[in-house]
Amino acid sequence: MSGIALTPAAYNPVIPSSSCSLKYQKSFRVKTRVSLNNAISISSDPFVLELAEALEDSVATPKTLQKLRQSSSHSLLSTPWPSRKDEPFRFTDLSILRSSQILPAKTPTITDAHITVPPDSQFPCHVTIIDGHFVNSMSNVTEIPDGVYVGSLSNLDPTVADRVSELVSGFDGGDLFWSINGMGAPDLTVVYVPEGCRVVQSPIHLSYLSSQGSKEGSNDLIVSNPRVLVVVEKGGEVDIIEEFSNVEGNENECYWSNAALEVVIGEGGKVRHSYIQTQSSLSAHIKWTSVRQESSSTYELTEVSAGGKLGRHNLHIKQLGPDTVTELSTLHLSVGNQTQDLHSSLVLDHPRGYSRQLHKCIVAHSQGQAVFDGNVKVNRYAQQTDAGQLTRSLLLEPRATVNVKPNLQIIADDVKCSHGAAISDLEQSQLLYFQARGIDSETARRVLIFAFGGEVIDKFPYSSIRDRVRSQIKSLLDPSPK
Amino acid sequence: MASSSSLSLSLPFQFRFRRNNTHTLRNFTRVTASTTDIPLLQVNDLRAKIVESNVEILRGVNLTVNRGEVHAIMGKNGSGKSTFAKVLVGHPDYEVTGGSVVFKGENLLEMEPEERALEGLFMSFQSPVAIPGVSNDQFLVMAYNARRKKLGLPELGPLECFSYLMEKLQLVNMKPDFLNRNVNEGFSGGERKRNEILQLAVLGADLAILDEIDSGLDVDALRDVASAVSRILTPENSLLMITHYRRILDLLKPTHVHVMDNGKIARTGDITMVEAIEADGYETVSALT
Ligand SMILES: Nc1ncnc2c1ncn2[C@@H]1O[C@H](COP(=O)(O)OP(=O)(O)OP(=O)(O)O)[C@@H](O)[C@H]1O
Ligand SMILES: [Mg+2]
Repeated sequence: MSGIALTPAAYNPVIPSSSCSLKYQKSFRVKTRVSLNNAISISSDPFVLELAEALEDSVATPKTLQKLRQSSSHSLLSTPWPSRKDEPFRFTDLSILRSSQILPAKTPTITDAHITVPPDSQFPCHVTIIDGHFVNSMSNVTEIPDGVYVGSLSNLDPTVADRVSELVSGFDGGDLFWSINGMGAPDLTVVYVPEGCRVVQSPIHLSYLSSQGSKEGSNDLIVSNPRVLVVVEKGGEVDIIEEFSNVEGNENECYWSNAALEVVIGEGGKVRHSYIQTQSSLSAHIKWTSVRQESSSTYELTEVSAGGKLGRHNLHIKQLGPDTVTELSTLHLSVGNQTQDLHSSLVLDHPRGYSRQLHKCIVAHSQGQAVFDGNVKVNRYAQQTDAGQLTRSLLLEPRATVNVKPNLQIIADDVKCSHGAAISDLEQSQLLYFQARGIDSETARRVLIFAFGGEVIDKFPYSSIRDRVRSQIKSLLDPSPK
Repeated sequence: MASSSSLSLSLPFQFRFRRNNTHTLRNFTRVTASTTDIPLLQVNDLRAKIVESNVEILRGVNLTVNRGEVHAIMGKNGSGKSTFAKVLVGHPDYEVTGGSVVFKGENLLEMEPEERALEGLFMSFQSPVAIPGVSNDQFLVMAYNARRKKLGLPELGPLECFSYLMEKLQLVNMKPDFLNRNVNEGFSGGERKRNEILQLAVLGADLAILDEIDSGLDVDALRDVASAVSRILTPENSLLMITHYRRILDLLKPTHVHVMDNGKIARTGDITMVEAIEADGYETVSALT
C-alpha cells in the first residue's frame, strides 16, 4: 500500500514522539480508504496529514456521517495546505492556523458553569451548537409546525433521514477547509422543512459557541467543526439566523471555528438567512455556506462579520433551475489587526434569474485588512438574467488595506448586468455638509461610517437583530464614546 | 465700497413693513437694540484658489453686509458666485490666498466650518449632497442640538424635538414623511431646495447665503420658499442670495444687487440694475463700472 510510505510522523517534528505509534496506526486506516478509490496524489504535506489524523481520532464516526467522512478524508488527503500562491488565498494569511498545533475540540461537558445560555434567546425557536455539537438542553424547538425538524441527524425519523443523507455534501466545489469540516464534524444539525410548509411565525436561531480555547501565546489551537444542513422542500419557507459568538469568559481566547452550512431550496421555496459573526478577536473563523437553489426559489443573505483575527466566508450559490432570486448583502468590519475575507461565487445557468450582491467593508485600523473576491457567472443558457454586483470599501486609516476582485462573467447575450466597485475614505462633500450645519467633523465621521454599514444592517429582517448588531458595531467603531 | 452705509440703514424699515402682517412685536424691539456699527460681514480683497489645481477663482472680492440687509449676487455662469459662498463657509476644496473676512467682528477664516455655522453663518448649497443612511430627522436633531449646545441649552431627544420640527416643516410646506427619508437621497431638485430652507428654519442664522435657491423650483414652490425665508428673517439678520432670476428678487426685495464677474464684484447697485441686466446682459452692465 503506497500510502504507508508517506507516514507523516517521520516528517513532522511537532508530533510528540510518544504518540507516534498510535498516530501511525490511525493514519494507516485513513489511507486505506483513500487507496481504495484510485491513485490520487496524496498530499505530502505533513501538517495536513497530521491534522487529518487528529480529526480522525477526535470523534467516533456516527453511522449517518460515514459517507461524508469518507469522501472528506479522501479529498483532504489530496489537498495541500493553501499557500499565498493559490489564487483563493493570495491575500489571506493563514499563518495563525499553520503555526499552531491544531487540536480537535473535545465533546463539551454541558454542565460546565461557564457555559451560559446564549444572550439572545428571544426567538421561541433556538438551537445551541457548542463546539459543533447540537445541545438539546440548551435548545428549544417545540414551537415549530408539524413535519418540520430541527435537531441532530441522529434523532431524525429514518425516512426523512434518508432524504437528508442524500443531500449531505452534494456540493463538490469545496476547499481544504470544507474537507476538514466534513471530516471533523461530530454531528450534523438538520433543519428540515417539508413540502409546502412555511415556517414564518419565528425564525430558527442557531447560536454557535466555542467553549474550548487557549490563552493568547499558546501554541495550541482548538478547532471545532460545526455543520448544519437546511433543507426546504418545494414551496417551503424558513428564516434562519446564524450567530457565532463567544461563551462568557471566552472573549479573549484563541480558537478556530471551521463551520459549514449547506442550504438546499426546493422549487418555489424561500430561505432568508441572517449571519452574524462576532467571535473573539484572537480566533480564526472559517465558514462555508453552500446554497443550491431550484427553480423559482429565493435565497436572501444578510451578513455582518466583525470578529476574529482571521475571518473567512466562502459563499457558493448554485442555481438549478430558472426564475431564481438571490440577494446577498454583506458587511465586513476590520477594526483591529485582523482580516475579513469574503469569497463568493454565484453561478447562473438558467433563464430569468435575478441576483443582487452588495458587499461593503470598513477597515478602521492600520493593520486591518479586507479581502473580497466575488464571482458572478452568467452562463450561456441564463438568458434574461438580471444580475447586479456592487462593492464599496471604506478605508479609514493610512495603511489599512483592501483587496477586492469583483468579477462578473457574462456568457449569455440577452442579460441585464451592472457592476461597480469603489474604495474611498469618507466623502469630503458629505463631511462638509454636516459641518456647515454646525456638527463637528468627529461626530460627522462617526455618523457617516455608521451609515455606510447601516445599509447592510438595515436588511436584517428582525428589529431585535438590527438593534443588537447596530449597537455592537457602534461600540466596535467607537469603543469609548464621550 | 461695495455697499454704502446710508442704504443699509434704510433696510430695517423694509423688513418691518413686510413682516408686520406675519410676525410679532418682539422683533420690533430687537431692531433698535441690535443696530450696531460693525458690519455683520466684511469681506476685503478676498482671493482664493482651487486646492487641487491651483487655479485662482476669487480675485479680490469686496463686500459689506450689515444687519438686516438683503443682498443679491448675480453674474455669469462660472464667474465665481458659488465659489465665493463656499469659501465663506470653509469648503475644503478651496484655499484662501489673500484678503480677509470678518464676521460679527471675528476673523471668519480662522474658524472651522462648524464654528462658522454655529457662529450664525448658514449657506444653502446650490447642489446639496445626498447622505445615504442618515435620515433627515436624525440629521436635523443633531444639527439643532449642536446649535443648542453652543447656546448653552440642554440637548433634546428626538421626541422632544418633534413638535419643533413639525412646526418648521409647515413653514416650508413639506410633508412630515420627509423627516424619515435619508438626507437628500432621491429628492427631486425642488425638494432638495426646500430641504435646505427647512434646515435654515430649524437652525436660524445671522447671515443666510442662499445659492440659487430658486433654480429648479416651480411657481408654487418658489412662493413657498420665498415666504418661508421672509418669515425666518428678522430685522437683525441678513440675507445674501445668489440668483439668475428676477422673480425671487421681486419676492425678497434686495436692497443691494451685485454683479460678479471673473472672481470679483464688478458692479453694485439696487434692484433697478436687474432691469438693465435683463435688457442688455452682463457684459454691458459689468462694463459700466
Ligand atoms: N472644486 C472645483 N474644482 C474644479 N473647478 C472648480 C471647482 N469649483 C469651482 N470651479 C470652477 O471655478 C469657476 C467658478 O465656479 P462657480 O461654481 O463659483 O461659478 P458660479 O458663478 O457659481 O456659476 P453658476 O452660475 O453656473 O452656478 C468655474 O469655472 C468652475 O468650473
Ligand atoms: Mg453657482
